[in-house]
Amino acid sequence: MENDAHLKLQAFVDGELPEAEARVVASQLARDADAAALIAEMKFTRHALAGHEKAVRVPESRDFYWSKIRRQIEASEVERPAPVAIPWHAKLRRFLAPATAVAVVVIAGLLATQPVGVVGGTETSLSDSGAFTYRDFSSGTTLVWLSYPAEETLDDED
Amino acid sequence: MAEISHSSADDEALVREAQQGGLDAFEELVSRHRDRIYGRAYSMVRNEEEAMDLSQEAWVKGWQRLAQFQRESSFATWMTRIVINLCLDHLRKQKRQRSESLDALNEESGGVERLMPVLTVNPTERLERGELRQRIDSALNQLSHEHRTALVLHEFEEMEYKEIARVMGCSIGTVMSRLFYARRKLAVILADLKKSEAT
Repeated sequence: MENDAHLKLQAFVDGELPEAEARVVASQLARDADAAALIAEMKFTRHALAGHEKAVRVPESRDFYWSKIRRQIEASEVERPAPVAIPWHAKLRRFLAPATAVAVVVIAGLLATQPVGVVGGTETSLSDSGAFTYRDFSSGTTLVWLSYPAEETLDDED
Repeated sequence: MAEISHSSADDEALVREAQQGGLDAFEELVSRHRDRIYGRAYSMVRNEEEAMDLSQEAWVKGWQRLAQFQRESSFATWMTRIVINLCLDHLRKQKRQRSESLDALNEESGGVERLMPVLTVNPTERLERGELRQRIDSALNQLSHEHRTALVLHEFEEMEYKEIARVMGCSIGTVMSRLFYARRKLAVILADLKKSEAT
C-alpha cells in the first residue's frame, strides 16, 4: 500500500474523511486484508491510549508551587509601566471640545432657520466658544468660523 | 470574596473575580487545575523540572492574558492551550540547539516505521489498567517529540487534524504523517514491551 492510502485509512479511523469517501473505504476493507489489518492495528492503538494517560501530579505543595507563580506575577506587574493619570482639566477639555463643536453647529443651524428677505447680514461672535457666525440674509448663506479648540478659555480657567 | 467562598465558587465566578484583579481567586484556579496543566507539560517534554517551569510560566501568562479569555472553552481548556504552546516553543528551541537532521528525515518519511509489519495481535489485551498506563507512558517516552506531540494532541486533547496543524505550525498532511508513524511505532513498542516481559 502507498503512503497516501495509509493516511486515508487513518483518516477513516479518525472520522476525518468526508462521508462519501468513508463509504468507499469501508467497502474496500471487505476486499483488502492488508488494509483491514492496518485499520485493526490503528484501532487497538487508539483504544489503548484512550483514557490511559498516566496521571501525573505536581511534585510540590500547593503553597510552594503558587509562591513562585505569585512572585513572577508581582515582578511582571512592577515592570509594567503604571497607567498615566489624566489630570482633571484635561478630562474637562476632552469633554468640552466636542460639546463646544456641537453647540456651534446647533447655533449655526438655528441662525440658518431665521426668516430670509432682510437685506444685508449680521456677524455674531460667540466669544466663549471661539466661533464667529456671519449670516447673509440676501443670499440665505451662513458662514461659521471656528477658532477651535478654544484653548485660551480653558487655560484661563486653569 | 472570602477564602471559604473561593473554594466553593465555580470556575466561572473565580475567573470573573480574577479578571477584576482578584489574585486570591486566581490562586484557587491554580490550585484546582495545576495537576492537569503540569501533566500536559510533562507529557510533552518528559522532564519533571522543565514541566514544572513551563507549567508555572503558563499560569503567569494566563494571569497576564486573563482579559482575553472569552469563555469560548472552559478555563481549564484555555489554560491547557497556553501550556501546549509554551511546550511547543520550548521543544522547538531545544531542537534548534541539537543537530537532528537525520531524525527529521526519518520523521517525515516514516523511517523504519514504514517497513514494520502490521501487528495482528493486540499487545495491550488483558492488561490491568495501571499496567497499561505504565506501558503507554514508557512507549510515549520512546517517541520523538514531534510524534509524541501529535499523539498527545489527537488522543488526549481530542484535537482534529486542522487544529493540531495550527498549533504545531505545520500542514495537515504533516500532522497525518506524524500521527500515522507515531501510532505504528507505538504499536511496535507496546508489542516489544509485551515480549520482553514474557521472556
